[in-house]
Amino acid sequence: MANAPGVRGRFEDYALLWLLTAVIAVLSAVPLARLVLEAVRPGGVFSLDAIRRVLESATTWSATGHSLVVAVGGTLLAVTIGGLVALAVTLTDIRARNAFVFVFVMPLLLAPQVVALAWIQMFGPSSALLKMLGIAPPLGTPNPLYSPGGIVLVLGVQYSPLVFLTLRAGLRALPQELIEAALAGGARPRTVVRSIVVPLMTPPLLAGVALCFVSCLGNFGIPALLGIPGNYLVLPTLIYQRLAGLGPDALSQVAVLSVLIGLIAMVGIVVQDAMLARRDFRTTTAAVEARAFELKRWRPFVEGALWTLSFLTLMLPLVALVTMSLVPALGVPLTAKTATLDSYRFVLFMHAASHRAFVNSFSMAAVAAVMIVVIAVPLAYFLVWRRSRLLHAVSLVTEAPYALPGVVVGIAAILLFLKPLPIVGITLYNTIWIILFCYVARFLALGLRPVVSGYHQLDRTLEEAAQIAGARLFRRLATVILPLVAPAAAAGALLIFLTAFNELTVSALLWSTGAETLGVVFFSFQQGGDTNYASALGVLTICVSVLLMLSTILLVGRLPRGVLPWRD
Amino acid sequence: MKTIARRAALVAFAFAAALAAGVAGAAAPKGKLTLYTSQPEHDASMTIAAFRKAYPDVEVEFFRSGTTEVMGKLAAEFAAGAPKADVLLLADAATMETLKKDGRLLAYPGANVTGIDAGTYDAGHTYFGSKLVTTGIVVNTAAKSRPTSWADLDKAEYKGQIAMPSPLYSGAAAIMLGTMTERHDLGWPFFEKLKANNAVAVRGNGAVLTTVASGEKPYGILVDFMAFNAKAKGSPVDFIFPKEGNPAVTEPVAILKTTQNPDAARAFVDFILSDDGQKLAASMGYIPARQSVGMPSWYPAGVKIHVMPSNIPKIVETNTGNLKRFSEIFGK
Amino acid sequence: MARLTITGLTKAFAAFRALDDVTLEVGDGEFVAILGPSGCGKTTLLRQVAGFDRPDAGRIEIGERVVSSVARHVPPEERRIGIVFQSYALWPHMSVADNVAYGLTVTGVRDPERARRVKDALALVELDGFASRRPANLSGGQRQRVALARCLVTEPSLVLLDEPLANLDVHLRASMEREFARFHARTGTTMIYITHDQAEAMALADRIAVMDKGRVLQYATPSLLYREPADATVARFIGEGIVLPVTVAAVHGDGTCDIVAFGATTRMRCAPRGVERGPASACVRAAGLRIVEPGAPGVTMRTTGVIYQGGHFRIEGVVESAPAIALHLHVEEPCALAEGSRVTVAVDDGWVIPAAALG
Repeated sequence: MANAPGVRGRFEDYALLWLLTAVIAVLSAVPLARLVLEAVRPGGVFSLDAIRRVLESATTWSATGHSLVVAVGGTLLAVTIGGLVALAVTLTDIRARNAFVFVFVMPLLLAPQVVALAWIQMFGPSSALLKMLGIAPPLGTPNPLYSPGGIVLVLGVQYSPLVFLTLRAGLRALPQELIEAALAGGARPRTVVRSIVVPLMTPPLLAGVALCFVSCLGNFGIPALLGIPGNYLVLPTLIYQRLAGLGPDALSQVAVLSVLIGLIAMVGIVVQDAMLARRDFRTTTAAVEARAFELKRWRPFVEGALWTLSFLTLMLPLVALVTMSLVPALGVPLTAKTATLDSYRFVLFMHAASHRAFVNSFSMAAVAAVMIVVIAVPLAYFLVWRRSRLLHAVSLVTEAPYALPGVVVGIAAILLFLKPLPIVGITLYNTIWIILFCYVARFLALGLRPVVSGYHQLDRTLEEAAQIAGARLFRRLATVILPLVAPAAAAGALLIFLTAFNELTVSALLWSTGAETLGVVFFSFQQGGDTNYASALGVLTICVSVLLMLSTILLVGRLPRGVLPWRD
Repeated sequence: MKTIARRAALVAFAFAAALAAGVAGAAAPKGKLTLYTSQPEHDASMTIAAFRKAYPDVEVEFFRSGTTEVMGKLAAEFAAGAPKADVLLLADAATMETLKKDGRLLAYPGANVTGIDAGTYDAGHTYFGSKLVTTGIVVNTAAKSRPTSWADLDKAEYKGQIAMPSPLYSGAAAIMLGTMTERHDLGWPFFEKLKANNAVAVRGNGAVLTTVASGEKPYGILVDFMAFNAKAKGSPVDFIFPKEGNPAVTEPVAILKTTQNPDAARAFVDFILSDDGQKLAASMGYIPARQSVGMPSWYPAGVKIHVMPSNIPKIVETNTGNLKRFSEIFGK
Repeated sequence: MARLTITGLTKAFAAFRALDDVTLEVGDGEFVAILGPSGCGKTTLLRQVAGFDRPDAGRIEIGERVVSSVARHVPPEERRIGIVFQSYALWPHMSVADNVAYGLTVTGVRDPERARRVKDALALVELDGFASRRPANLSGGQRQRVALARCLVTEPSLVLLDEPLANLDVHLRASMEREFARFHARTGTTMIYITHDQAEAMALADRIAVMDKGRVLQYATPSLLYREPADATVARFIGEGIVLPVTVAAVHGDGTCDIVAFGATTRMRCAPRGVERGPASACVRAAGLRIVEPGAPGVTMRTTGVIYQGGHFRIEGVVESAPAIALHLHVEEPCALAEGSRVTVAVDDGWVIPAAALG
């Protein structure tokens, strides 16, 4: 033990650091680099034509401007809704809190296209709701949702659970005594929230903002449905348009536009990191979790507002989905005579691809979530506590695969994995593994941001105490650090699972027989005009997810506190 | 002498028979065939099942997605230098024409095109239309009036009530655009007036069907089989063949030059163009390319549908310009 | 058992010198206190010794082993020392027993020996029966004792304590001081105790290092610090010393000299060598001041405060002829002095601060 002490400990640290760098490089940097290569070397011939054509086109810049408008607007709305709901749910004494959290998080299970469709119908002349209220607009009025405002509205509502989850994990780490100190100082609850709670919640809030921004930036389904009719293009729909347009250099143009999206996403993250770097958000006491503010006579109003919100965000699309699944064809009104379970019978018993899709989607979503958490916890450790500059620069790249439209990620994966891998000679193409690779690469950002904010709220002396007790890095990560960031990590894992379960745009390009996903089957039903089958599949997917989420409650005893957002 | 001649004849006969048998045996295609298609999934499954009945030694793997996704996948495979597909069955000829121009398709001069209109297959025999999918007007049964011609859609009574597929995202709609702008009775003024009538261009035919069937907009421009299949299931929609005629797409089949299994690929084309294959298309609700095999059940008896002729190569050439002009008209 | 040797340690954060050429040697089994006001560098020093930061210059040796230098850095997990953190740093997700057992688990000690040692450690800090509690449910003093038990259970040869009593109430502090003293006597562990409370340091330490602005001002026994401070800062910091400008009139060579303070002559202690006649500073403590009758030799003081402290009064005032200089002394009750009154104060004892250390 006398020779070269300290080298072994340092070896572990460096080994882990380089391993993480390599993993991220392979997952995020290499696909992006391959796209850049395609942009400058289409078909093997070096040419800057594609770049010039894209940058000179006015459509590129108007789409960029629209993307920024939509991303910023959607983020602001999502943060407002998600933030207020998180504060109301975590810090007040509303009743049925766990049930509400469950219901509020569920819209993440709905594919964005389904949500957008339900909202369009809700605001249109055929809306059952508006007809009931007697204010249905006459046939021919332009639907107000086909506008940038409509896109911002639906995006904001769609992604508010994202902010909610990250903020709730952060709020539960807030010690009671910090609030009590402010109350003792004479501050009213509203002032306490404004001056104490919100500033301390900056890391999880910024994590939510960053996630929302990149999610809105890269969202395709909602602007496709709401923006295309008015020709309000954003970068993802412009990319799709280029692909559909049969242009000779479509792929290179797509690559250039993708790099543009990736750069915008990375700028957003640089800003977030800069805002977090200068300040200290650590709470050092291992004290009791904050007790609820009493609402007294405001309670019924707050509860009413919350449940109305969840009615709009969940019930309406869900009811539309269920209705469509029970009628034999689109547009047939649902009555006792027309209702039929044929669609369910078909999907459950007669469609082999649906069964495979359930198993595939579930396994891949679960495996991706676990793999990403395993990467994110040590990665965030080095980013936040070791301030490794190399890793910091490399980790910016993790945002790109999440911001890019799924079809582009699929194309990058094809470019990389079409031929067998060097050295090992295995071909990932046309297997389930290429889809899993894309899921891990794409959703790494979803898992990393919440964990980074979790570290910002921890006191490092807890790790130092373990160091002094003799624990090396791996043991410290496993026994001390992981349990402490577990709530933040679990928020990320949940987001990843729910998003990957319904993922569509990547697998639409990469699936093969046996490697179908739920998104692919849903997409193919829809394109074939079988909206009833698609809706039945959608409803079944939601049921399975709900059962899975409920089953986690059984594990409550064995999980650290704060891991499950719907369990106090 | 006779014995020698007889033996020689026997040997020759045996040799010829063996050769014939050998040739016949070698001619039976086998192995793996990879199909990329944008057909709806159950249509693709039925096509492949029927093909496998006719050629049981061929294993078919297929990839099915939207046209844009299939083209994106193909483009990426070309760029990476190892295309996997053997045969393509895509929605419209414009896409095939582009592939032909890039030299990606393998010509099949021996394909059986008897009884098939020359306008539906490529003169160079690189791609062959498998069916006729016409575009017409779909109406919700609750709509107050019914247009009878394309020009009717420009009338004020239909203001704000029309949905159409956007050519920017749908190959079939792009062909419709290219075809109709060539006609002097419609041309660009037709689309300008549509825009003045606040028609909405949505992403693809599926979106049009959803919009019209749900009553969101009572009128739409849609492909025939989608309207009729929905109607058969009970959706409150009807399809109208306008007076001026219908633009059509042919859902062509083609063989890729880089195919690993040219025999099986040719067999697939043969099947699609065979009477069996054409009857299958009719049973699935499409107008077959060889109309003599019979029409789909929804086809109005005794009616002759006027298909607008499309100059595919010209449409492909002017496509970029057309799309730009369309987006200028329909943009804000 | 470890000795700690710090040689020329320097650490700067940007332009700020947190440690400036610090040299210190702690003998085997010694109890050394590092004493100084906030910001003097004592926590930085602790973090350097623990291995959480690396020095810019200098060397740290534990026993014969160089653990920190510019070229070499042994990570904290391999230094085999113990630390009690100011915030205790108890792991909230583990029970008290798990917290204490962690160091043993890490080195591979298993039950039943591990359980026995945990039990002994808890008994040592009088927390038997608390094994299954969570840190969130303990009081400040209990958490402090758990932190101590956790530190001691691995029987380290060097223990660092970072202001361990700062968060405790007066009575608890007194009993914990006794606890530390007893523990040190029993085990002979080398202990480094960081504090800003000089009473604590004087009571517990064998030697005290007084730090200010990153430098060690004086490193000596508590008595020596009190009686012979090395400079004005130490003089003021320890025992609330009063620094007076004086003139050295005569040096006697036996450790005493005659000085003149504000016109009054008296005898003070000084260093045996190196004291010269002329202006100097002297350190005077409240115990060395006495109120005398108005005419007697002494300094005239104007009273600014008369504060009752239970059995005696603390009289505060300023020198009449030099109001910038504050004095204070104690007077047994009863005391008839009033604020604003003038008294004459005789200086009975003082220490001439060595000239080299002035400024």
